[in-house]
Amino acid sequence: MDAIPAIRVVDLRKNFGALEVLRGVSFDVHRGSVVSMIGASGSGKSTLLRCINRLETPSAGEVFIDGEPMGGPVTANGERKERPLSDINRMRRDLGMVFQQFNLWPHMTVIGNVIEAPLRVRRMKRKAAIALAEECLARVHLSEKGTEYPARLSGGQMQRVAIARALAMQPKAMLFDEPTSSLDPELTDEVLTVMRELAADGTTMIVVTHEMAFARDASDRVLFLHNGQIEEEGPPDQVFGAPKSERCRQFLSKKLQ
Amino acid sequence: MSNWERLVWNQRGLLWQGLAVTIEVCAIAFAMAIVGGLLLCLVRMHVRPLRPVAIALIEFFRATPIFVQLMWVNYVWPELFGWPNTFFTAGWVALGLQSSGYLAETFRAGIEAVPRGHREAGYSVGMSPFQVYRRIVLPEMLLTVAPSIVNQFTVIVKSSTLVSVITVPDLMLQAMKLVNIWYEPIEVLTATAAIYIGFVFLVSTAGKALADYQRRRFGLNAA
Amino acid sequence: MSEALVDALNPALFWEYRQVLLRGLAFNAYVFFSAATVALIVGLAAALLRVNRAWPFRWIGTLHVEVFRNAPDYIMVIWVHFVLPLLLGKLIGQRVEFSPFASAVIALGFVYSGYFAETFRAGIQSIPQGHLDAGRACGMAESTILWRIILPQVVRRMLPEAVNQFVSLFKATTIVSLIAVPDLMYQVSMVTQQEMRPLPLYTGAAVTYFAVIYVVAGSVRGLSERWRNKIYA
Ligand SMILES: Nc1ncnc2c1ncn2[C@@H]1O[C@H](COP(=O)(O)OP(=O)(O)O)[C@@H](O)[C@H]1O
Ligand SMILES: [Mg+2]
Repeated sequence: MDAIPAIRVVDLRKNFGALEVLRGVSFDVHRGSVVSMIGASGSGKSTLLRCINRLETPSAGEVFIDGEPMGGPVTANGERKERPLSDINRMRRDLGMVFQQFNLWPHMTVIGNVIEAPLRVRRMKRKAAIALAEECLARVHLSEKGTEYPARLSGGQMQRVAIARALAMQPKAMLFDEPTSSLDPELTDEVLTVMRELAADGTTMIVVTHEMAFARDASDRVLFLHNGQIEEEGPPDQVFGAPKSERCRQFLSKKLQ
Repeated sequence: MSNWERLVWNQRGLLWQGLAVTIEVCAIAFAMAIVGGLLLCLVRMHVRPLRPVAIALIEFFRATPIFVQLMWVNYVWPELFGWPNTFFTAGWVALGLQSSGYLAETFRAGIEAVPRGHREAGYSVGMSPFQVYRRIVLPEMLLTVAPSIVNQFTVIVKSSTLVSVITVPDLMLQAMKLVNIWYEPIEVLTATAAIYIGFVFLVSTAGKALADYQRRRFGLNAA
Repeated sequence: MSEALVDALNPALFWEYRQVLLRGLAFNAYVFFSAATVALIVGLAAALLRVNRAWPFRWIGTLHVEVFRNAPDYIMVIWVHFVLPLLLGKLIGQRVEFSPFASAVIALGFVYSGYFAETFRAGIQSIPQGHLDAGRACGMAESTILWRIILPQVVRRMLPEAVNQFVSLFKATTIVSLIAVPDLMYQVSMVTQQEMRPLPLYTGAAVTYFAVIYVVAGSVRGLSERWRNKIYA
């Protein structure tokens, strides 16, 4: 295992007004590993992911991507200088995000959705961007849907396009926020299959999920979040087999029955 | 039927000319309304210090009757600003002002209807706020509000009859001229009313079909 | 320019003629309420035709809506004032004349009946079939169902849009000055001819109309929202 983790989260805190949503969360995600994050609704999982790629600004703590702090370097007198937005944008490219609600852009075709960022953010040539997009669509098994508009796809197909869109930026890590939670049960498998394949290819991933089977056999580590803190963490065998925390045990027994 | 022939058919050249002027005034007013409405909307939403000004203008344009605005622009503006210097200009400016107020609010509603996640998806692949706005928010907004934009154009056409009052030679003015020559209003005014109704019907039907076609192309339900 | 601005914003002249101008504004209100009554009644009739099961009725209702909704106010006012009396005169074989006020009310009433009919229809069609079935299951007569179950819901549903249409109608009343109904705009043009100072007069008219519409429309919208919220809370 290399010394510098792909993502390092250190004592991350976030409050919305008086509401403390994250209360000091720390963990590492090593290159090529898959971390699943489980926990009850409202425990702060989405907020944590959103803080990692700075869709929310953390109240305190730091996120390091390949050792580089997202929030900006600490100056000599110990203060932190907030990075300019352009910097954050540059670092965000290294983190692909997949949302529960897909968030495909309805006025662009499938291919249009996937090439948008390579074209305009990485300023690739159109031809190269399309070749890249086709490769990404092949990885999510949607090669034949390139010219469709999102509204004509099924939920599972939409989510796979969203994954391809994130992959097209060739990110260092992928963040998934409950990618199958708004899908009909019969459509979750096609998305989970794609995610398992990504994991097997050595993609670094953080996956917030309620799919316990996926967390158990596709991830290297499992985090159980409760009330904005990590209540339990470890390899899946340990978290699922012999959880130390009572709350985690209760949560799992409810989920697994 | 000879009256129809004498008063309407034989004067068709004049009426055509009038209709051409009507279309011209409306087209310019429409372009002004779209640009002005977008500007007012963006200032209102994103330029803090000028927000109250934009709101005041939008509300004023929306709550003042078009006829009053037309008179105001025609009689007051030239002395106040030295412009507009022709009746034609005063006509499209007044029509454009009112519609820009309405479109500003339409655009705002459309922008607010773009789900936050669509913008966040843009940020998460590293797009800048400007790119997100230009590539995602504005096009998606236009798609949602297309039917309202068409509707606003029909409002402009209907209101444009009033520019005849300040002697812009539109269809309405040509019709009134014909009436004043022969004092036989029945055929001329009925034909003129029918032309307007037909024209507005055509525009709104074609516009709606176009807007629906656009939406269906993107796999969305017709509005 | 600054002189002109001072002149335009000086309300003295406007104030001097306040009585005649206020009487003009009262005429706007008068035309508005009369035309609104016509528009509501005719609009409801047209809407009921449009949702009728028999196609000839539906067809007439649709024609009514398409004609009046697509007609410019101004040409309709002129047409009713100058053409309709002649046609009626030919029909009954004697001279017919409309007062400017009557023409204004008929024309605006019919034009806006087209808009109201659409609003009514959308409202009627938004009522679930189940409500009718429930009424029939209780043995209610069709007319009872209409008055007691459908219309009260329709009114609440269409209220926001209806308020917008009332506002449009009030704004449209300013054009009746063009057939010499002595409304505010008419008085303003009269006074302007006398005083030769359009700047303060037309600015005053614009500000007055804006203030009246903004305040009245704002409070009516507020009231109607509160009333709706009581039911749909
Ligand atoms: N933008 C926000 N403003 C205020 N409260 C928020 C915001 N986003 C999330 N929260 C609150 O933070 C808590 C955690 O939310 P979230 O991170 O979405 O939980 P999870 O994804 O685990 O269900 C919830 O109580 C939620 O109401
Ligand atoms: Mg969540």
